[in-house]
Amino acid sequence: MYDFAYHRPASVAEAVKLLAGDPEAKLISGGMSLIPVLKQRLARPSALIDLGAIPDLVGISVTATTVTVKGRTTHAAVAASAEVRQAIPALAELASHIGDAQVRNRGTIGGSIAHHDPTADYPAAVLALGATVHTSRRKLAADDFFTGLFATALEPDEIVIAVEFPIPEKAAYVKFPNPASRYAMVGVFVAKGPRGVRVAVTGAGANGVFRHAAMEEALAKSWSPEALEGISTPTEDLNNDIHASREYRAHLVGVMAKRAVAKAG
Amino acid sequence: MAQGIGQALLETRVHDEAGQFLSGSMMDYTMPRADDMLNIPVDNAVTMCTHNPLRVKGCGEVGAIRAPPAVICAVVDALHDYGARHIDMPATSQKIWRRISASRQHLAAE
Ligand SMILES: Cc1cc2nc3c(=O)[nH]c(=O)nc-3n(C[C@H](O)[C@H](O)[C@H](O)COP(=O)(O)OP(=O)(O)OC[C@H]3O[C@@H](n4cnc5c(N)ncnc54)[C@H](O)[C@@H]3O)c2cc1C
Repeated sequence: MYDFAYHRPASVAEAVKLLAGDPEAKLISGGMSLIPVLKQRLARPSALIDLGAIPDLVGISVTATTVTVKGRTTHAAVAASAEVRQAIPALAELASHIGDAQVRNRGTIGGSIAHHDPTADYPAAVLALGATVHTSRRKLAADDFFTGLFATALEPDEIVIAVEFPIPEKAAYVKFPNPASRYAMVGVFVAKGPRGVRVAVTGAGANGVFRHAAMEEALAKSWSPEALEGISTPTEDLNNDIHASREYRAHLVGVMAKRAVAKAG
Repeated sequence: MAQGIGQALLETRVHDEAGQFLSGSMMDYTMPRADDMLNIPVDNAVTMCTHNPLRVKGCGEVGAIRAPPAVICAVVDALHDYGARHIDMPATSQKIWRRISASRQHLAAE
């Protein structure tokens, strides 16, 4: 690790000010993605701005039509929330399978989506449910939020405040974990709700999470696993690594999608 | 036994063409974990050694050495209808999928 300054602002406004004043500074939330990068000296931020002392960045609120998770809420809190389990069980279940207990107790939804690791789980839920990302300066639709591998629409001095999920009629997430890391080798989130029928795939895409148009079309006509029979996934833009080839990932997208639709009921 | 099952199904060193080690951390090298294992009843089948007065012999790593052939024989048996007579360790899900899809393509071509 290289040396860095450390700030612990007490409000979002103060954090934004620190961030805007130092282009080399980085936010730190749970540190589960950032600390490993620092330990391997793959990044050299001048300062870390810790979001841990800002009270209004933590919490979950549920209305008749939405579930809103504040940016610094941990995966463990989402997994354990009786309200989330009631409103969007697929979301609580997704959170309960992220990493291990230690990671879930530290890692946060804001960090996960801001990082946009191509194998992370939350981006699939955000995109398939058509969530709205509330930031320190605006509201971003999920379709505009994820822009590429480890890339999002966030400006350098923009902070994720909360993610607002519309409550779907049906939804489910099925993940084929990478056997070593337990990140998603392929994860498919399917949802039918106020934003229509949406299928989001994580773990497979070389540019991060993506929607599967052919599957959405088929499921909009008939919501059943059989409707996905014979729908293939083009391999050009898929990940290829020591764990799975493009072809195997394309195959897994089909299998996980069918399982997800069956699970959603 | 977990070590042997890990060798049969999960663990592998991967290098790229330049010799760079690609499975160099626990995020890429798959060790068997508690939830990969099942409860295995253990029993003894005692055979006296005939070559020394004590009629005993030392031996080690019984589970680690016996587990890979047992697991791989089971995998090859399960894939027999797909033409498998051999499969290299570790028998990962991708390898098994390749074996099955190669056989299906072969059948479709016939
Ligand atoms: C062993 C291990 C296993 C894991 N397994 C999984 C898994 O199976 N599935 C999965 O999805 N993830 C997994 N993760 C990653 C984990 O979910 C992280 O929690 C998550 O990726 C990042 O969240 P964080 O709060 O730790 O963010 P940090 O590491 O603190 O930050 C990550 C990045 O986001 C930025 N950032 C943080 N908060 C905000 C914010 N509010 N606004 C704007 N930018 C922000 C930071 O500047 C940094 O660039 C794993 C991690 C580990 C170490």
